[in-house]
Amino acid sequence: MDLPVIETPVFPRWVWMEEITYSHIPIATLVTAFMLLAPLFEYIGYRWGKPRWDRLSKSLIWFAMILFSPGAALGTGIPMFIIGTYPEFWSRWANLFFWPLIAQFMFFLAEVFFLFFLYYLTWDRWMHRKKLHITMGVCAAFFGYLVQIVWDSLGAYMLTPGGVPLPGVDEPVGWSLAAMLNPSFPFLLIHRTFGNFSYAMMLTGGVMSLRFMGQRRKDPLSENTAYFKWATKTCFTIGFMCFFAMPVIGWFYARVLQEHAPIGFLAMMGGHVTDYLTIKMMLISVFLVIGGTYVVKQNNSKALTAAITLGLLILLVVILRHPPLDYFGGWWRPVSAGIVILFIAWLWLNKGRGDPNRTAWQYAIFIAGLAAFFTFCLGGFIRERMKTPDTVYGEIVKPEWTDVEADRYLVYEKWIHPLYKTPTELDRNRPDSWRVAVQQARQDETVTLTDTEAETIINYLEANH
Amino acid sequence: MIFLAAAQNPFLQFPGGAKFAIGFLALFHTSVGSLAIGFAFVVTILQLVGYVRRDNQFDRMAKRIQLWHVCIYNIGTINAIGLVFALSGLYPQFWSQIFVQFFWTLIIEEALFFMLALTLTFHYFFWDDLWGHKKLHIFLGALLTPMFFLQFAIINGMSAYMLTPGFSEGQVSQWSGTAGILGWDKLAFYNPTFLMLTLHRAAANFAYAGFIVAAVCGFEIYRAKHEKVLSWNERGGRLSFKIAIISFLSLPIVGFFYAWVLKYHGKEAYENLMIGRGDVVAGGIDWWWVKHLIVATMIGMGLMFCYRAAKYRREFRVPMTAVYALSFVYLMFYVGMGAQMTWKFFWVSLAAAVFGGMLCIHLLNFHEGSGRAVFLLMGILSFFTVILGGYAREASRPRFVSPSGERLKGFNRIADYDNIYRSEERAGNVSMAMLRGDPDYIEEVRGRPQQLTIQPETPEDLISSRCISCHTLQRAFRPQGSEEKWDRVVGRMHAYGTRLTPQEKKIVVQHIWEKEQVEKAIPADPGGMQ
Repeated sequence: MDLPVIETPVFPRWVWMEEITYSHIPIATLVTAFMLLAPLFEYIGYRWGKPRWDRLSKSLIWFAMILFSPGAALGTGIPMFIIGTYPEFWSRWANLFFWPLIAQFMFFLAEVFFLFFLYYLTWDRWMHRKKLHITMGVCAAFFGYLVQIVWDSLGAYMLTPGGVPLPGVDEPVGWSLAAMLNPSFPFLLIHRTFGNFSYAMMLTGGVMSLRFMGQRRKDPLSENTAYFKWATKTCFTIGFMCFFAMPVIGWFYARVLQEHAPIGFLAMMGGHVTDYLTIKMMLISVFLVIGGTYVVKQNNSKALTAAITLGLLILLVVILRHPPLDYFGGWWRPVSAGIVILFIAWLWLNKGRGDPNRTAWQYAIFIAGLAAFFTFCLGGFIRERMKTPDTVYGEIVKPEWTDVEADRYLVYEKWIHPLYKTPTELDRNRPDSWRVAVQQARQDETVTLTDTEAETIINYLEANH
Repeated sequence: MIFLAAAQNPFLQFPGGAKFAIGFLALFHTSVGSLAIGFAFVVTILQLVGYVRRDNQFDRMAKRIQLWHVCIYNIGTINAIGLVFALSGLYPQFWSQIFVQFFWTLIIEEALFFMLALTLTFHYFFWDDLWGHKKLHIFLGALLTPMFFLQFAIINGMSAYMLTPGFSEGQVSQWSGTAGILGWDKLAFYNPTFLMLTLHRAAANFAYAGFIVAAVCGFEIYRAKHEKVLSWNERGGRLSFKIAIISFLSLPIVGFFYAWVLKYHGKEAYENLMIGRGDVVAGGIDWWWVKHLIVATMIGMGLMFCYRAAKYRREFRVPMTAVYALSFVYLMFYVGMGAQMTWKFFWVSLAAAVFGGMLCIHLLNFHEGSGRAVFLLMGILSFFTVILGGYAREASRPRFVSPSGERLKGFNRIADYDNIYRSEERAGNVSMAMLRGDPDYIEEVRGRPQQLTIQPETPEDLISSRCISCHTLQRAFRPQGSEEKWDRVVGRMHAYGTRLTPQEKKIVVQHIWEKEQVEKAIPADPGGMQ
């Protein structure tokens, strides 16, 4: 089947694709996170007899309901757009995952059924049948999470196909267990699950802080003011604490990528996607500093501060093992360790001190929530960009690939991967002549290159490094 | 174990086959989508009535319907996703190719879909917050109907194309309409049945949603324990029923023209419907017949309900003159159907209508004038008509697989239906007015008087007389590069309305191509002296 690729106006195809996808994913992840947490909060409220938890739970579901229709409408646009602009990829990919896609549709249908009809609409009617109501919420969350599992599996395949080739359009496959259980699937799933909890709750905390300020202006002593103050603290703290699982899972995730998608790994660790990763780290620093200080001030708890300390130490270990940071030289390790230790000391000094309910703090945690949101968005962007110019890593190249991208891929694959740890070393250990260096490596048989490949690599290195 | 077995045996066919799967998902989606479109309209009417009469009961009912709307909207959306996945997996060639013609229309449809979702969400979830801005709120709700119509017009363009590709059958619109834009084929979009399908479905959606709202009111009346709730649902049900019945009675007007267009542009489909063959007949039952018998029953019930409502002078009366006039059109429609199909069909339909009318009187009497049972029954019947109407339209298309359902390479279009079920009681002379290609008498038909008194004698004359009515001759001689391309260009012009017989077309193509070749052989004059 020879299908024409449809061109897009104004921006290249991939920009439109990413814009449409990124408009859907934050909505879908927020809804999933809220659906998973709402029955839990409702259960806490039921067990402890605290109606605030029930109110929080209901407001999360109410907001999920508002987001649901626009999110689902955007979701339908994604396959439509892909079918027209990436017809070969879609035909082959949907051929491999036909049954998971159909299963996902059924899970989605079940999710709506439980969420809308048996959870949201029955909230007041089943006020005295809480256990039944919570069970319905759990069912909705279960099916919602199944939807996420399917998409994470299919998305992970695009970065780590794990040796399962994309079938042809005329080779009906239906589904492949090996493709679904691809190497990075479990890590992506866990990483995104905690990522969703973390960013969704920090963002919710930030939004609640704005509501708190609004209510306080109206009536500082009202029940609403007290509720929003409590909701701000609770949501933000939950989101903040969930974050500390991320570096650990992320480290294992990166290891899997290093093994199964080495070119993508190089792109992220010193390659062309590193700048985005650096911005992501800066955003993490923003919400860590603001959020950490707010949480210890607000909660005044030794256990919580100790947990944050432990999380920061684990983060430090990950930072010290972070390959691109080698670029800065040996001084970076003690400096980063010093910064983290100073921050830990700062947290202990601030524990329970000051007034975190001041207006400035409310704006600060709103900014921290936004930083968490953009961190999440950037994570998805990096995951997609690191496999450029491939659509499915090592299997299919995107139609709009450029010569520079193709040459860069060759350099990563045939030059950096066998010789260096990271692409940053190309600049740090730049030889006098790339031509001589490449010829020498070929003679030493440290790299295996054809004449054409060698010439392409030399030209690329001379032009860019 | 099941998963492991499935993993070993990679491709599983849908239970019931691919066709069944698509049919099921498509009809499921249609039944929900149509309801959503109709709900938007009914909500606006209820809100307007509530606002004008300063009666909150109607506003409360509108809010309630909008809540159902939000719920079913999401079911419809998700169902659409399932349909997209199923189509791309089960019919990859069809699905990918259709995007070459309809990509941009589908993208616009998606954008509308998103705006609809936003508006709908805002309209329902901020109902109480906008209480002080009622006009704005009603306006927002009213916006949903045109947006829905734009969206569903786009889908109709594609669906109608599948039944009546029009000029695309001559391999014209596959490339001509795109005019360099992949993903947009205006000839395919504005295909012969596009307008008729859109009008027919619009009226049908209003009727369907109105009947369903009335049915839910009827259901609530059965459950109601308080007089106030009972009265509220009775009034709401009557208003919705009246909206529905007017839309319902206007259907045969559009339906007649729809069938007329189908007769000439979807000949096999038309025959399949009228004679009862192909997939229209499944399990030995002609579902097109079944649909029309249900419709006839509904007409009888609706007519009697309106008659009784007018007699007792309850509120929301419909002018009976209009009802009778429209019912007469319906009667004529059935007479026409009887003539085309078999008179047995007409008499059975008439009996069904009489039965419906009598049943309605009985139910109204039984419930002391309350329409609860009629509402409920009409809602259920309207659901079946929507499902069966959609099914008949899809099933009427010629098959592209063997009668036993096996997949065959290529198109495998089966033009001959001799081996497929055909009901014996159908009129024997049914094929008399149906065209399959050019009929024998076409050469004998005297042509209409030509406006041109001078007949073209040379190809140049022919081109001058036929082409310059739309554009200059310079444009007519713009080089195309091959005779085949010229054939397409002239074919497209023919599709646009140029009067050319096949012989004349051949002459024109040959002449222009020869002229182009001659001009190509003459070297260009660098000085531009000539």
